[in-house]
Amino acid sequence: MSEESKTSLALGTLTVVFAALAIAFARVPAPVPAPPRQPLVVPANLAGVLPPGTVRISAAQLIKSGGDTSGLDCYACHHKDQPPVIKVEADRRIILPKEHSDLIFGMRNCAECHPADKPVKLEYAEDGTVVVPEAHRGLLAMAHGRNFRNENCFNCHDQDQLNQLHTADGTKVKFEDATLLCAGCHGPTYRDWEAGIHGRTSGYWDRSAGPIVRQQCASCHDPHAPAFTGLIPMPGPHFRARDK
Amino acid sequence: MSDPSTDTGVTRRSFLRTSTVLAAGAAAVAAGIAPLRKLGQFSSVDEFLQKHYKELTPEEMKTVLSRIETEVERQYGIRPHVRDYKPMNGVEYVYALNLTRCVGCRKCVHACVAENNQSRNPEIQYIRVLKMPNDGTFDLEKSDPVYTAKAVPEAGSFYMPVQCHHCKNPPCVRVCPVKATWQEPDGITVVDYNWCIGCRYCEAACPYFARRFNWSTPSIPKEQMNTNMSYLGNRPRYKGVMEKCHFCIQRTRAGRYPACLEVCPTGSRKFGNILDPNSEVSYILKNKRVLILKEELGTLPRFFYYFDV
Repeated sequence: MSEESKTSLALGTLTVVFAALAIAFARVPAPVPAPPRQPLVVPANLAGVLPPGTVRISAAQLIKSGGDTSGLDCYACHHKDQPPVIKVEADRRIILPKEHSDLIFGMRNCAECHPADKPVKLEYAEDGTVVVPEAHRGLLAMAHGRNFRNENCFNCHDQDQLNQLHTADGTKVKFEDATLLCAGCHGPTYRDWEAGIHGRTSGYWDRSAGPIVRQQCASCHDPHAPAFTGLIPMPGPHFRARDK
Repeated sequence: MSDPSTDTGVTRRSFLRTSTVLAAGAAAVAAGIAPLRKLGQFSSVDEFLQKHYKELTPEEMKTVLSRIETEVERQYGIRPHVRDYKPMNGVEYVYALNLTRCVGCRKCVHACVAENNQSRNPEIQYIRVLKMPNDGTFDLEKSDPVYTAKAVPEAGSFYMPVQCHHCKNPPCVRVCPVKATWQEPDGITVVDYNWCIGCRYCEAACPYFARRFNWSTPSIPKEQMNTNMSYLGNRPRYKGVMEKCHFCIQRTRAGRYPACLEVCPTGSRKFGNILDPNSEVSYILKNKRVLILKEELGTLPRFFYYFDV
C-alpha cells in the first residue's frame, strides 16, 4: 500500500468518526442546567424539630422540584410512581381538586418570583389598605387577623429580602424561627404551644421510648390567612341497611 | 326349627324393631346437634376451656396468643402479631380534650376504627361526636350525633366527642356478672373478649354510652386489618361480646399516643401520664378550665374536657 493511500484511509476514517460524533451531538441536546433550588427551610436545620415532610413550600412545588415527599401523607390515595397531574390556570393559580379543598396550600416560596435583588414596593389604596397585585389573586390570601393593618406584608417580611423576617421592633428573625415571630403577638397561644397543649402532636407520650413530634405554627396555619376554613366532616354513626 | 345352642333370644322382629329405633334415635340426635356445626368454624375446645385473663400463667398466655393468631389467620386470611401488653409502673393515663378547638370533623372516629379493627359492616365506632347548640345550656338532650354538613364547624354549634371515660369508679365494671371487664392498674378499663357472655349489662350501666355490642360477626377486609394486635385491645372480636375504647392499648403501653390523638387536625386531643408532673395532661389540669362530663354521677372519669380561655 502506497503512502498516499494510507493517508487517504486515515483521513477517511477520521472523517467518518467526526461525522458520527457530530450527528450524535446534534441529536442529544446539551442538558440545560436546572435552576438552583432555593429552599426556604433547610431540612437539616430542622432535624429533631420537625418531621422531614414539614418544609414550608407547597405540596405542588415539592413534587415539581423532585424533593422528598415521603413525609406527606399523599400516598394514602396517590401512587408513588404516578404523580397526579397538576392543573394550572392561565394566571398560574393551581386548580385544587374538590376532595382537596380542606388542604393547606398557602405556604409559597416568594423568592421564586421576587429575588433578593428586586425589592417589592407596596401600593396603597385611598383608605390605607394594601393593594394586592393581580398576580397574587388566588395565589396568596391576605387575611391575617381582623385589622387591615395586619395585611401589610412588611409587618413581618423584610422589604429588601422577603426571605428574611423581622419583629415589630426590627429584630431579624430567620424563616425557620418564624414561630418566635408569631409568639410576638400570640403570647398565650405560644405559652400553650411550648407546654405541648396547642397544636398537633404525634409520636411518643413516653419520652424514654421515643420522641414527641411537634409542629411549628406555619406547619398548620397559613401565615397569610391563619384562620382555618371549614373541614368536610367524615361519616357519622353507621346503621346497617334494613334490606340486608 | 330351633337350635337351643344358637338361640340368642333375638328374633327377626325384635332385631328389626331395635335397629329401627336406634337409627331413628341417632338421626334425631344428629339433627339436634346440627346447629353446633356452624359454631365449630371458629371456636375450639381450647377456647372453650380457656381460663380468665387474670388466671392465665405466662406459658398459657403464650399458647392462647398463638391460638388467636391462627384463628384470625383462618378467618381473615392475614396473620397478625398478637401480644399481651402489660401496664407500666408509675403510669396512670389521662385524656384531655379541648372543646374550644374541636371542630367536629370526625377524623378521630375513623382513625379509631382503622386502628382498632372494628367491624366495618355494621361499622362499630367507639367515639361519638355530639354537635351541641352554643346556647349556654350544655343540654345533652339537645345534642345531635348524626349531623351532616358541607363544612364544620357550623356557626352556633360546638362539638363534643364522647368515648370511654375510663372512670375510677366504673359502673360498667360493677355490673358485670362474670368479671369479664375490669380496671387495669394504669387506669384502662378492659374487656376479656373470651370471657364476656354478652349480657350487655355494662352497656346499660355506662352513663357515657361508651360500650358497643357485636350483634354479628365483625366483617373486616383483609387489607384494612391492623396486624399489630393486643389481647385486651384490638384483636378481632367475636359475635356476641362487648367492646369499647381501650386508649389504643397496643400503642399507649408501647409509649405511643392513641390513634385519635395523632389524627386530630386541630390538636384538640391530649394524652399522657397524670403521675408525671411534666406531662401535657398535668399542665392542663393545673392551668386550664376543666369540665367533667356528668360529674354529679361520681364516676371520677380519667377523661377531661378543657377550654382555652
